[in-house]
Amino acid sequence: MKLLPSFTLHRPISLNEALKLLSKLEDSKPIAGGTDLLIDLKEGAYKAKHLVDLGLIRELGNIREANGLIHIGSTTTHAQLVASEIIKAKAPVLGEAASLVGGVQIRNRATVGGNLCNASPGADTATPLLVLDAQVTVASLEGSRSMPLSELFAGPKRNSLAPGELLTEISFSVPPACSGASFSKLGRRRGCTLSLINAAAYLETNGATCREARVAFGACAPTPVRIKDVEELLKGKKLDNQSIKEVSSACYGLVQPSTRVHARASEEYRREMSCVFMKRTLMEALDRARRNMQ
Amino acid sequence: MNVRFTLNGKDVESETRDNRPLLDLLRVDLGVTSVKKGCEYGECGACTVLLDEVPVTSCLVLAPQVEGKTVTTIDGLVDDPLMEKLRQAFLEDGAIQCGFCTPGMLLTAYALLKENPNPTELEVKKAIEGNICRCTGYVLIIKAILDAAERVLAE
Repeated sequence: MKLLPSFTLHRPISLNEALKLLSKLEDSKPIAGGTDLLIDLKEGAYKAKHLVDLGLIRELGNIREANGLIHIGSTTTHAQLVASEIIKAKAPVLGEAASLVGGVQIRNRATVGGNLCNASPGADTATPLLVLDAQVTVASLEGSRSMPLSELFAGPKRNSLAPGELLTEISFSVPPACSGASFSKLGRRRGCTLSLINAAAYLETNGATCREARVAFGACAPTPVRIKDVEELLKGKKLDNQSIKEVSSACYGLVQPSTRVHARASEEYRREMSCVFMKRTLMEALDRARRNMQ
Repeated sequence: MNVRFTLNGKDVESETRDNRPLLDLLRVDLGVTSVKKGCEYGECGACTVLLDEVPVTSCLVLAPQVEGKTVTTIDGLVDDPLMEKLRQAFLEDGAIQCGFCTPGMLLTAYALLKENPNPTELEVKKAIEGNICRCTGYVLIIKAILDAAERVLAE
């Protein structure tokens, strides 16, 4: 049993108040669901004298659609992603990935912003959001800025946010009808497990050939990553079982798994599995794209 | 600091600290020992409580975070008809061995049946994936939850 170190918990009710606390208080960290952070504090991986709880800031906790974009507040829980009618209708791949995180108790607390900012190489919401080409909005007292999600990840368990900055929103364009996306994850068991690797794929097709492709892996590099070389191989290609199998086999040499940053499975095994999981996710994405077009 | 919340239908107020897990507030400060202390890492589900009606692991909730909220343990559901059916099915099916996982298992099952009164076996398995039983009695636990659902529907 490890005890939580002592800290002061602040519970602001507005974003502005939270930003002021984060910039004023030395040695402070935001806390959302706490399902990773509290464990890291127990383990001594982080130290913080002050925790700024984002749980009472209503504006950060909802999902909405406006002008062709889906906006997801950073403290939206995994359970909210699973239950959201907007996500089910427009980006089911994200709800599916969220449903495979932890058990129901964890999904009721853990937030998408926390999952991304915690920056685990195998973060399960990161890969689907990467293939949805998501942008993240970051706020500080100086104002807010947007960047591609990929730029949020600085390294294993490290994000690129400066002190005083807070992730407030994740957004992406509503995928067109000619598209399909899919997510799959390899764990040690089916339920309540961490990813040994995970993969997501997004395809746009005119029925036969691939117009746009985005693919991503988790736990195959120091951060969740898009694999642009595979995307280039897919674009313009006639999509079928054979071509997808060929393209997927290229993953072996393109991923960079390291047991140093991610010790749950060997590099060799994850290279092999990257081909298998890319093929599975691409086939499923293609199937969905075709069904969506009908 | 003091935290005020509704525990099993009653308003309570307790002095606490910022780094006090809800689990310790319940067990040590308020004497609700049906909430079990297992892994304290949010993995075993033994400390499950319903927070505003949804299951959470109380080891990963800080005591001040339940201010103004509703916390329910099995003690608050003694007279609840659905919980009564679940308890009865757990007993009759032999879904209890050492009993350590049982309070958490019952609360997770209760939340499932409230939301989905007629779950499939797969949905039951998915619902209890965050509750570990180290006597490995899952087969009978799943059966008991399905039996309880069937009995509620038969009424």
